[in-house]
Amino acid sequence: MVNAWIAIGALALVAVIIPLSMMLISSLLRPSVPEQGKRATYESGEVPTGSSRHIQFNIQYYMVALLFVVFDIETVFIFPWAVIYGDAVGEVGLVRALVPMLVFIGILVVGLAWAWRNGAVEWVRSPRAESQRVDRDI
Amino acid sequence: MAAVSLPAWAALAPMAVFALTALVLFVYDAVEPESHNSALLAGISLVGSLLALGITGWYLVAGTGQPRRNGAIELFGGNLVVDGMSLFFTALIASVVTLVVLASYDYLQGHDYQAEFYSLAMLAATGMAMMSTANSLATAFVSLELASLPSYALVAYLKHNRGSVEAGLKYFLVGALSSAIFAYGISLVYAATGSLQFDAVAGAIADTSLVGVLGLGVVMVIGGFAFKTASVPFHFWAPEAYEGAVAPISGFLSSASKAAGFVLAFRVFLTAFPIDVIGAVDWVVAFQVLAVATMTVGNFAALKQEKVKRMLAYSSVGHAGYVLIALAALTDGANHSFVLGSGMAHLLVYAFMNTGAFLFIALAEHWEVGRTFEDFNGLATEAPFACAAMSVFLFSLAGLPLGGGFFSKFYLLMASINGGVAILAAALIVNSAVSLYYYSRVVKAMWIEEPNGDLEIESYPTGLYAAIAIAAVMTVLLLPAFGPVAETANMAAEMLV
Repeated sequence: MVNAWIAIGALALVAVIIPLSMMLISSLLRPSVPEQGKRATYESGEVPTGSSRHIQFNIQYYMVALLFVVFDIETVFIFPWAVIYGDAVGEVGLVRALVPMLVFIGILVVGLAWAWRNGAVEWVRSPRAESQRVDRDI
Repeated sequence: MAAVSLPAWAALAPMAVFALTALVLFVYDAVEPESHNSALLAGISLVGSLLALGITGWYLVAGTGQPRRNGAIELFGGNLVVDGMSLFFTALIASVVTLVVLASYDYLQGHDYQAEFYSLAMLAATGMAMMSTANSLATAFVSLELASLPSYALVAYLKHNRGSVEAGLKYFLVGALSSAIFAYGISLVYAATGSLQFDAVAGAIADTSLVGVLGLGVVMVIGGFAFKTASVPFHFWAPEAYEGAVAPISGFLSSASKAAGFVLAFRVFLTAFPIDVIGAVDWVVAFQVLAVATMTVGNFAALKQEKVKRMLAYSSVGHAGYVLIALAALTDGANHSFVLGSGMAHLLVYAFMNTGAFLFIALAEHWEVGRTFEDFNGLATEAPFACAAMSVFLFSLAGLPLGGGFFSKFYLLMASINGGVAILAAALIVNSAVSLYYYSRVVKAMWIEEPNGDLEIESYPTGLYAAIAIAAVMTVLLLPAFGPVAETANMAAEMLV
């Protein structure tokens, strides 16, 4: 009997050879015309401004992402709990089925309240962005 | 004893107290985000850690989870276990946290985000205490992360200080790498044995046919512990993190975090991978290599440091090597509970003397006298008490009979002889001799050298002094009291072997 792994090995070999041979053959065939535009950073057709090594984006995205995690984890755990809740009450009683989840949500609510009070949901104002703003509605 | 009968979950009360303290601090900070009432914040944390320490001490005395009262308490289907060893280490961690909180009150004067600082410290303490009770690879990983993540933030606490942020980033990157290795190791062990709980892993090892996978998993798990205990080959973060962090946090990480890493390592290797079952993967030899390498690297690197804090950081790596003897000397003929108990006792003594030494550095940073050995010149003329305490810590760290460090090192020496591993004993002696040189450099600078012209100290902060005094008293007291401590440690170790 032929080993099934031979086919997989052959496939892997072909998968490596085809892209390598394509790059090799095209480099042999194509003319070489170096010019400035080919080396520039591609920014969806716009003329790139500044260096690509110092990308600046708003710290607020991290804040939103972290708050998202709070709710996301909450959902992930509440969903299976909600599915078995009815059976669980019958099995171990209301207190043991409900209280642990309330404690869990309570801890997350403390975290959310803390983040809210410490300004995580307020939109951060960047002095630099303010100064560069162009008012369009004049 | 009185007929106090608590429900089984009450055995986790110390961790619950830590977590609750952290939540109380968060709630306070949510109500009053602009508050600078550092006395209240430090007070809440101090009450919390003292309460945790008190409960743990009471359990230890009352015999909770120990053979004389019903034996180990297993919770959540055996995923957590409270026994003598977990209580011993919870007491150690709670003591260190108490000292750190006490010292931070003065150290953090004028800094922002104090509530976050204290609550992160409490959360880290929760994680470390959970590490000492973890009884399955899943809870081990979760509690290790709970201890690590707040630590990264605490190291980078001074967010406008380049050194602090750099240290935090390095710590985080090495930590993330070793967490990944640890998690992968756990998955390989699970693949080979089909279980995560330590006892079940040990039961399934004999039948497994995937010895290679299991061996790779064990090696990777060792890597995870090497990071947490700052042992070779994952020790690179330690000097950076300890030097860049605020000094109380350096003390916290190098004492409590290291102890938590070791207790988890003890439990995993003795319960999940017992050496008589896992014969194919001889981890004792691996730990012998690691112990000798860690001792030597740590001590010889400490030798040529110019900054005192960095020297202490490398000495902390060296001490991780000494404690590794507790795992490396577990050969066939050895008295296992004695070998393991010696490591535990050394960690306890080390917790006080090392935290004390880092708190003295905190005091020096508070005075802004500078970081190098020369900057400490003549400090004893200005602050004789603090310098006397520091000398006790340093000589005890070196193993001179001024503090408990003498006996704990002696016990480790006896343990390596008991295990019949001569190289460990030789490395221990040589490295202790080396360490005496760089420790006494600090003592010489403080007491013998003439002060630099402008050395002047205006304030003598009460909290820092109190913490240093307590640490010094404990270090000295552990000299006469070492017998009972070692006995407690041996008894706790006996339940595991």
